[in-house]
Amino acid sequence: MDQGITFQDVTYRRQDRLILRGISLSLTARRIGVIGRNGSGKTTLLRLMAGLVAPSSGQIRLDGLDPAADRRAMLDRVGILFQNPDHQILFPTVEEELAFGLRQQGASATEAAAEVATLLQAEGRSHWAKALVASLSHGQKQWLCLMAVLLMRPATLLLDEPFAALDLPTQARLARRLAVLPQRIVTISHDPDAVAAADHLVWIEGGEVARQGRPADVLPAFRAEMARLGDADADTDLSH
Amino acid sequence: MLTLISPTETPLHRMPACLKLGAVAAGTVLALRVTSLPGTAGLLAGLGLTLLALGPGFARQAGQHLLALWPVVAIILIWHGWSGHWTAGAVVAGRMVFAIGLATLMTMTTRLADLLALAERGLAPLARLGMNPRAIALAMALVIRFTPVLLDKAAALRQAWQARSPKRPRTAIALPLALAALDDADHVAEALRARGGL
Amino acid sequence: MERNLTHIALFAALIAVLSLVPKIDLISGVPITAQSLGIMLCGTVLGAKRGAAAVLLFLALVALGLPLLSGGRGGIGVFMGPSVGYLVGFPVAAFVAGLVVERWRAPIGVAAFAGAVLGGILLLSAFGIVGLRAYSVLIAEGVADAKTFTWVQAVAAATPFLIGDTIKAVLAGAITQSLARLRPDSVLSRA
Repeated sequence: MDQGITFQDVTYRRQDRLILRGISLSLTARRIGVIGRNGSGKTTLLRLMAGLVAPSSGQIRLDGLDPAADRRAMLDRVGILFQNPDHQILFPTVEEELAFGLRQQGASATEAAAEVATLLQAEGRSHWAKALVASLSHGQKQWLCLMAVLLMRPATLLLDEPFAALDLPTQARLARRLAVLPQRIVTISHDPDAVAAADHLVWIEGGEVARQGRPADVLPAFRAEMARLGDADADTDLSH
Repeated sequence: MLTLISPTETPLHRMPACLKLGAVAAGTVLALRVTSLPGTAGLLAGLGLTLLALGPGFARQAGQHLLALWPVVAIILIWHGWSGHWTAGAVVAGRMVFAIGLATLMTMTTRLADLLALAERGLAPLARLGMNPRAIALAMALVIRFTPVLLDKAAALRQAWQARSPKRPRTAIALPLALAALDDADHVAEALRARGGL
Repeated sequence: MERNLTHIALFAALIAVLSLVPKIDLISGVPITAQSLGIMLCGTVLGAKRGAAAVLLFLALVALGLPLLSGGRGGIGVFMGPSVGYLVGFPVAAFVAGLVVERWRAPIGVAAFAGAVLGGILLLSAFGIVGLRAYSVLIAEGVADAKTFTWVQAVAAATPFLIGDTIKAVLAGAITQSLARLRPDSVLSRA
């Protein structure tokens, strides 16, 4: 029974700054998008979903569990992909990086190595096993991060600006790969094109939910607001 | 991160790490018992022949590593020669080069993984003192993973500097580098927590 | 928990980078690099225990054959040369530098400078000097007419570095202070 992701009146404060306020969501769709400007709080929203930070007030449930409290359970249920692969690849070689999550889930070294070898072969990349991460391109590192997370078979995948910094061919490849994944996928982005295919779209503005619904209902208003902001001069407020 | 191991395979590569370590220790003790010039010359000749037997490319690589010792050798020789004791100087310098040469030979023919396994066995008693071997292994992997990342950052900072100044950057890049280290540490900690933590 | 580990690992990497970034080599076999700056920062930013752990981690990887010392040197051979005293003194230097920053409640820049001087210069030089003398005695053992470093000579050999080291200590103070301002939660010696 899939209970989805729920937020009940969640606020998140960090060092006296209010980042998210009064967030209430019930997300059960297969493909969920979160859109907003830089600094709107959408990345924090993702971290709250993953349980990497706990809300200052309010309640979050993923699959009925509290992600921040139940870290062990989250390991099998949620995978998160950050924007910058260099911020999340921990090991110097490809096979070590891929095996790590499996070891964390309890697999032995041999079991993990076998699964990694199978994956690499299926992807036509067996020769990558001992390759140094430092020698991979950005897109290749992105692939590595995705594979490392998918190996852990999470039911929910959280993606932070996955298409940013990718060239068009790599974007197309990634989009194709993501489209066929069985997991629930939550994608956050500042770019409407990245979330246009979502089943449900949430627009975060200034730490609050501005609007949510189908992309066709949300995006026109979003684009209009972004255009309006773009026509006005930039705000020079130093508070952020 | 490239290690100092030689890519050219030699018979020594297959020898177990603990035997090689023992040989280095024994060889060093032996070297300290040799006190004559002919004896020292013999040791160095033996080392040189072994290196050549392992392949000319290998010998050249080893030679490059040992070349780094030339300032120390020069000082020892000149210092002894100053008072007319060239022979003594040659013996002292020669023994040192021999011992370090053995160690270099080991470093060039032993894989990181094998040395790591050896270290793990050797340090096993310390596990009682509360050290977590998994955490140590992870820490080592992180250093190997992030040294190239920070080196790239250092290169980028130097270029950013040189794009705006004719002088060479000296200490100015130390702060951004340290900042990068702190920020990367935070990101990696989060990534680690996202994948189950320690 | 994870933060301690990643801070220790990243600062061990920082030592390596500061060692490998090009600098000047001095002739007595002990190079002048930003290496000791890295050692000092481990102590002043991470504190005594974590700083020492970072340095020990660094030395362990060097011993295992990684070319992380200035000039790209590595392997157990480096511990068999005349600078062995300094290498042994590195973790102690970081520990003492960190201890000063943790215990002395002066403004962090001042405390970091003092720690860097006490640990990174005075203590480290002491280790280096003892190491130089002991090493020279060891390799001269049994050889007729061989000369060893007297204490005076060992001290003299260590002295040329003091100017460079003092500059590095000042830098350590300034950098630690800036980091404390920019990332107050990350400077673990005072967090």
